[in-house]
Amino acid sequence: MIRDRVYHDMTNRGVTGWLVSALLTAFYVVLYFTAALTPWAQKLGLSSKWDLYGVLYTVAIVGGGLAVIRKYGHNRYQVLRTSVVMFVQVVFAFSIPQMLKAMHQPELYLSYFWPLKFDYLNPEYLSQQPTWFIVYSIAGGLVLVPLAGAFFGKRWYCSWVCGCGGLANTFGEPWRHLSDKSTAAWKFEKISIYSVLGISLTLTGILVYSWTTGSKAPVVVEFQSWYGLIVGSVLSGVVGVGLYPLGGTRVWCRFFCPMAALLGITQKAGKRFHIRVKDDMCISCGLCSKYCEMGIDVRAYAQMNESFTRASCVGCGICSEVCPRGVLRLESESGLVQITVGR
Amino acid sequence: MHVVIVGNGVAGITAALAVRAKDPQVEITVVSGEGDYFFSRTALMYAFMDQMQRRDLEPYERHVFREKRITLRRGWVTDLDAEGRRLSLADGGLVRYDKLLLATGSRGRRAEWERKLDGVVNFVTLQDLEACERLTPGTKRAVVAGGGLIGVELVECLVHHKVATTFLVREATYWPAALSPEEGELVAAHIRAQGVDLRLGTEVTSLEGEGRLSGVVTTAGDKIDCEMVGVTIGVEPNVEWLRGVKTPPELGRGVKTDGGFRTSLPHVFAAGDVAEVNGRIEPLWYAAKRQGAAVARSIMGETVEYGSPTYYNSAKFFHLEWTCAGETKGPGRFKKLAGREASVRVLERDGFVTGFSMLGSRWNHRVLVKWLEEKRRTEDVMGRLSEAQYDVEFGRVAL
Repeated sequence: MIRDRVYHDMTNRGVTGWLVSALLTAFYVVLYFTAALTPWAQKLGLSSKWDLYGVLYTVAIVGGGLAVIRKYGHNRYQVLRTSVVMFVQVVFAFSIPQMLKAMHQPELYLSYFWPLKFDYLNPEYLSQQPTWFIVYSIAGGLVLVPLAGAFFGKRWYCSWVCGCGGLANTFGEPWRHLSDKSTAAWKFEKISIYSVLGISLTLTGILVYSWTTGSKAPVVVEFQSWYGLIVGSVLSGVVGVGLYPLGGTRVWCRFFCPMAALLGITQKAGKRFHIRVKDDMCISCGLCSKYCEMGIDVRAYAQMNESFTRASCVGCGICSEVCPRGVLRLESESGLVQITVGR
Repeated sequence: MHVVIVGNGVAGITAALAVRAKDPQVEITVVSGEGDYFFSRTALMYAFMDQMQRRDLEPYERHVFREKRITLRRGWVTDLDAEGRRLSLADGGLVRYDKLLLATGSRGRRAEWERKLDGVVNFVTLQDLEACERLTPGTKRAVVAGGGLIGVELVECLVHHKVATTFLVREATYWPAALSPEEGELVAAHIRAQGVDLRLGTEVTSLEGEGRLSGVVTTAGDKIDCEMVGVTIGVEPNVEWLRGVKTPPELGRGVKTDGGFRTSLPHVFAAGDVAEVNGRIEPLWYAAKRQGAAVARSIMGETVEYGSPTYYNSAKFFHLEWTCAGETKGPGRFKKLAGREASVRVLERDGFVTGFSMLGSRWNHRVLVKWLEEKRRTEDVMGRLSEAQYDVEFGRVAL
């Protein structure tokens, strides 16, 4: 009973929730802006605080992932998706970069692409990498990622591969329901996420221009470092994870991530991925909306019998999982076609 | 024109929104004693299980009612005067109307053995939910009497709160109203597997305790000590309040109406669970929503002749989902699906399908209904059943 009450408090913005939020925020501030974690890393035989962070991040995803698989074990989509998220983290986001580093190669993360990993299309950085990676990064960031987004929806990245989404969907699972479902939040989301995308595209453009012309104005250097600080550290780390217990797990993904913005556009434009709503079966219970980590009011569509595609939807599939009447179904196909009953 | 709706459930609110969609001018007032805003009664159990907070139960954001200029008036209606076209409220207020819609829904059916004791609950209204939440912490054992859909939901909530629960079901198999004996067995086994003391063929004969419930006595002669008893023996139209008013509409089991939802009183309509439309009561979420939309057209002067479409329904027994379409009773082919708690049952007559009852996996009722309406041959349908499956991606159940 006490355990239940503490859990409720921690997952419903109670004192414990605020406390966990403060601890997570403090952790990120210390990690990003101080060297306090370096001795701890060295004690564990790791070379830097970032390696320690990598270990903790991987443990959080694997541990949280196992709990999620246990919780949704009856749902093959969830089991597969979570297994892939854990695999990508362990192999692509942890083991391979560590191995490359051990072999004195540049530490490359094959599961990250521009614009989430901003430098991966920054010519200044990219030109110093091995040729295969240059090809991989350009093809991945500019072709593969958006194309797959158009065909399968942004979910293939945001809830199957991405580390930020991975952490949200594993370690962050207990807080997923705290996302703001109001229309006001949706309005803010549209302004904020496309602003960050605009800034990100502008900066990339400027950097490409500077690199080709061979001259980089001091103001560009300034711009780049501010972008790194605000988007790369504060929004994705401190705010993105620090606010898990208060604003839900996808604050970064929903309001700020430029890659999510780009994928959202291709998801809408591709017209293939959608959430199908079974006609007249919704009982308006609202579990779908409540457990949507992106703050989509799924019920509003379901109770109107409207199949839909939302730019922000990361296709985690939890709305479909929690629906007590099996109304919702994630689908990737051409257009919003109804099931056809053949002869 | 002033349209007044009594009851802010799904029928009433659907009607209010549909009236507004038809006419931007008309004045609309919804009166409710139960709560300030429309909430989803079907989600009561999720609130009890702490999966949702009160505000999450509201299907529409509150500003919708302001934007649609639907006035929400909190209060219990005490009198209906059809000649003066006005309602009296318990707080002394008076509401005049030009058109009146009675949409007061259902209430829990009372059992003969029921007494006013602290610890005896229904599970239909917000007030019931509050009582359940208040009683749960002090409850070691609960008894839920009545094996319908509300009963099993209440049992699931109590199990969630780790309350030892005895589930008394009158019938010899579980929910024979819609499930075949094999299906009933499957569900009963599933319920027992959750740690529930399910007793089939057993009813309550009397309650024990003075002021505070202390136990129940069953038809098997057993005495079960308990701090809480849930009465879930079904629902009935919530018409009691209409019996004493100045001008009651004609009542049967519910408020009698014609196919256009018109009651015996001029300018007074009824829809949803409370309405007995051409002698028929449809106590279903889907029907209430459908009737709410249809009655709005009738109120606005259109000719409406309500006919219910091919029947379908859905439910969930703990983790077992269930979908049905058409008939659920009669001869048919039953198949338990290998390796999982799931089954399909296709009902037939003279080689043609007449109904479906699908347990433990997901189905698209639209396809099933279409097959029924097309009067397909059983052989044909059996060969293409997978076309109606609706399981999650990668999770299609092998038939």
